[in-house]
Amino acid sequence: MSIDKNLLQGQPFRLVALLFIVLLTVFLTARPTSGFAQSNSARTLFADNKAGILQIRIIDITSGSKSAIGSGFVVNDSGLIATNYHVVQMAASKPEQYRIEYLSADGAAGSLNLLDVDVINDLALVQRTSQGSSEGSSEGSSQASKPLAAVLPLAAAEPDIGVPVYALGNPLDLGLTVVPGTYNGINQTSYHPRVHFTGSLNSGMSGGPTLNQAGEVVGINVSTAGNQVSFLVPVTALQHLIAEHQLRGQGVDNMALRIGQQLLADQDKKFAQMLSLDWSTIALGEATVVNELSPFFRCWGGSNSSSEKAQLLSADRTCRSEDNIYLNEKFNSGVIEHQFFWLEADKLNSLQFYTYYKRLFSDFAPGNKAREKDVGDYQCDTEFVATNNLEAEPQRKTKAVFCARAYKDYPQLYDVLFLQGTVDDSRAAFISHFTLAGVSRDNAKAYVRKFMGVAQWR
Amino acid sequence: MAVIVEQLGWGGKRQRYFTVEGNSVTIGRSYQNDVVLDDVYISPNHLRLDAAEGGWWLTDLQTVNGVEIIKNPRSSETQLLDADSVILLGEGAEIKIGRTRLRIVSDSHSVDAAKELHHLEQDAGKLNRLSIWLPLFLISLAVEIAALYFSSFIEWQWKNVFSIILGTQAVLLFIALFWGALGRFLRSESQFLSHYCLILLAGLAYSVTDWLIGMLAYNAGTEMVAMILSPLNALLLLALLLSANFALATNMLPRQRWISSLGFVMLIIVVSITAQMSGWGEFSPYPSYFSGLEVPGLQFAGAESADDFIASFDAIFAAADRKALD
Repeated sequence: MSIDKNLLQGQPFRLVALLFIVLLTVFLTARPTSGFAQSNSARTLFADNKAGILQIRIIDITSGSKSAIGSGFVVNDSGLIATNYHVVQMAASKPEQYRIEYLSADGAAGSLNLLDVDVINDLALVQRTSQGSSEGSSEGSSQASKPLAAVLPLAAAEPDIGVPVYALGNPLDLGLTVVPGTYNGINQTSYHPRVHFTGSLNSGMSGGPTLNQAGEVVGINVSTAGNQVSFLVPVTALQHLIAEHQLRGQGVDNMALRIGQQLLADQDKKFAQMLSLDWSTIALGEATVVNELSPFFRCWGGSNSSSEKAQLLSADRTCRSEDNIYLNEKFNSGVIEHQFFWLEADKLNSLQFYTYYKRLFSDFAPGNKAREKDVGDYQCDTEFVATNNLEAEPQRKTKAVFCARAYKDYPQLYDVLFLQGTVDDSRAAFISHFTLAGVSRDNAKAYVRKFMGVAQWR
Repeated sequence: MAVIVEQLGWGGKRQRYFTVEGNSVTIGRSYQNDVVLDDVYISPNHLRLDAAEGGWWLTDLQTVNGVEIIKNPRSSETQLLDADSVILLGEGAEIKIGRTRLRIVSDSHSVDAAKELHHLEQDAGKLNRLSIWLPLFLISLAVEIAALYFSSFIEWQWKNVFSIILGTQAVLLFIALFWGALGRFLRSESQFLSHYCLILLAGLAYSVTDWLIGMLAYNAGTEMVAMILSPLNALLLLALLLSANFALATNMLPRQRWISSLGFVMLIIVVSITAQMSGWGEFSPYPSYFSGLEVPGLQFAGAESADDFIASFDAIFAAADRKALD
């Protein structure tokens, strides 16, 4: 179950689906006075900023029509525009098929260049193609050479929790809309920091800025869980990306390589942290299983103990990290999932119990439905494995399965599946299972070792 | 020397024959002839055979439809004799008059030595008894119920079991009836209960061997064992069953039986491989791993250490890399 649902994925039809609008806020004064800032409201923010709207369109080169609409806002004097990675993802992965264009509120249009991305935080930087010349602009040189609307200042400090903030965007392509809401700080249940914004972000608002009362950007609209629970990318992530870009001084040539490096670095950091933790445990039946490892690793559980008709006892526990990294509309990475089952034969005889056990054992698969263009087929190995504590008598014997599939565009990264079930008790069984998305070989192996050492039935 | 006139049926098989003593034989539809045939296209007095050196002179007696020579050891060509013609026929010649095929041999004509009856063929015939079928039927019924019982993990309800058992027994009954009817038609002898017994025996053998193969695959830790052995076992049993049923229901020689049975099995193999071919090499987002599990009592294979297991991952990662490059 994914509650951190990306706005882009919520749409059923591709062509009408990807509607995003950027609001470019225009400030005539470099810094609003504090008195002016405090008098700002949703109404004045809207009025002051609507003139700077940039629409970002993903154009299919063959058909010449737009495949997706997104948004972005200018973040510095050199015309750097920030947006979501998922807005420009199609153009990033298939530059030969898609190009990026912008459309400002005053009707100016032109081509955009993708400069850099941060897939971990779902951010992208774009810039007008060949500023000052007519090249690449469908509207002619007079408009393309005009400077874009003024820069939106990025907030230097994080707002206090409870402060009113305003998300700007174009929900469902209905026109520019301002959504007042409350800043609720960095969400503690997500590995990658996301601001919890209490307000209704809708499809099409992704990529727009959320402003404080002073008109400064405090976050970038990114996703919603519905019912006024929405998420923003913290503005600090954007500041880092801009700084990296300025240090490099030019756009990234090989986008797949850049994304692959970001994924590798992110999983290295994440697994270093996960593996250094002393994993807390909890009992499930007679077995010991991994508990919630951190605030961003949430567990649920259940059992059939209240069922009158149940012939056997089954208790389960599922834990999942909420850190989906969007790579394309069907391909996510980053998620860690643990699953444990404790089974007791109860009213069943051994053969009947193992029939059920066998069926359950055959039913494990990762939730990630990546496609053939993204990943290879799973390769699996099955072995009988004696669990780690070799001095223990009697030793537990298990059937263990390990499967891996490789990412096609991002070398050294794999989705892996681990599954282990006890095979030495005829009246009870313990299944331990996990999947990791986007992990290196070494981290996967270290994770298996640690997991097998903790999740045990002694 | 006696002349034998054989009347041939479908496939050149003898339907009836006439033995005529003497040196001359007449054949026709009227009762004055030595060989009287019931075929409206045959003339009342159709032909006469006169003994000669190593054969017979055939004389057409002015017939309406003539005599067709199909096979004649004395001459290679086939021909239609006109009215009043004469021809020399050799031993074993075949002719056609009207719509009737005849073969002419002398009583000294040699025949093939007897084929040995396989003892299994004799034994299979002994299955055609209620006293054998009934226990076999009850055993397979018990096995089926036991298999259903031990593979059920929901509350046991007899009403669910009845429909399954009725279904399988109805199919078996239908197949046995088919073979019985075939025997009735081809051999004028129905071995219905033998067929039923053979089908039950094959079913029992399949249940036991398939269970053994599953256990073997589980201990070997690889699905390949089951994927290869299981269909092989099923097809082998099917070929055996077919061959035995052919033996009971038809007059096929052992070689013909085996060719027919194996040919049928080959056909099944070709069809199933063709059907599966479309799915080969298709991408799947799901891992396919061998999920077989058996009760601890059936687990014999040794276990390796977790470290060895983890060390084997490199090969899986390498294979996954290769798959991604495809």
